[in-house]
Amino acid sequence: MSELEFMSPVGSGHLSTSDGGISLEDISDCTKVLVRAGRGTAAGVHLKVTYGRSRRRRDGTLICGSRPDEWTLLAGPGQGAAVVGSVSDEGFVSIVDISHGRAMLRISGSDSVDVLAKVCNVDLADDMTPDGAVFSGSVAKVTCDLVRDDRDAGRSYLISCERSFGGYLFAAMADACAEFGINVPAGLSVH
Amino acid sequence: MIVVPCPNCGPRNSSDLRNAGEVVARPDPATTSLTEWRSYLYLRENPAGWVTETWYCRSGCRRYFTIERNTSTNEIRESESS
Repeated sequence: MSELEFMSPVGSGHLSTSDGGISLEDISDCTKVLVRAGRGTAAGVHLKVTYGRSRRRRDGTLICGSRPDEWTLLAGPGQGAAVVGSVSDEGFVSIVDISHGRAMLRISGSDSVDVLAKVCNVDLADDMTPDGAVFSGSVAKVTCDLVRDDRDAGRSYLISCERSFGGYLFAAMADACAEFGINVPAGLSVH
Repeated sequence: MIVVPCPNCGPRNSSDLRNAGEVVARPDPATTSLTEWRSYLYLRENPAGWVTETWYCRSGCRRYFTIERNTSTNEIRESESS
């Protein structure tokens, strides 16, 4: 799948405020690999991340413990084969490149937590979801996987959902950002 | 709002989960009678009081687990993986 040209389901690139309070970006083209591995398998031991946490590998791949015995590996665009090949498939293990099947957004900036709190039902306080936290919940009524992946000492969240909801989710997030100063382009309204 | 304690995700709004119904013992298909099998498939106690239920954490860990819930008060007193 990774050799196919990626076509984003979102169709809108990057929205931000001039003061840097909010940045909403479509990063659906990043590599996403789903690993399901039974306990005691080489893959499970190698990934070394428990459910609800994440860590960044030396090559920059973000390893997310997205469910019990399930991990999502996130990397830059076009690295599907390399990421799949980096995980041992010995034993009861499933490794699937899901890059084309999921949409992904990144929302960053000092106001990002306030925007997300408007539409997400998970507690975003530091003690519940610190930097590196991986969690799932409803975002604008869409079931999403979220990762808190702070950048430059500022809040940043990765939000991933089924591809077919990507366009709606971006529009809904842009709408939620509007009161914080983002100009929502014509045609992106959810109303 | 009913807060359901998922053993993996912690307390969650019941809208994040799905109630999969009362826990019912599955009879052996090789030896059961048609009456017993029909009862297993379709009949539930549905008491006004404590009942052991299976819930599915559809927005979080996507695992099934059982809890005891009082159907009159929605009090919940136990959570364990199943």
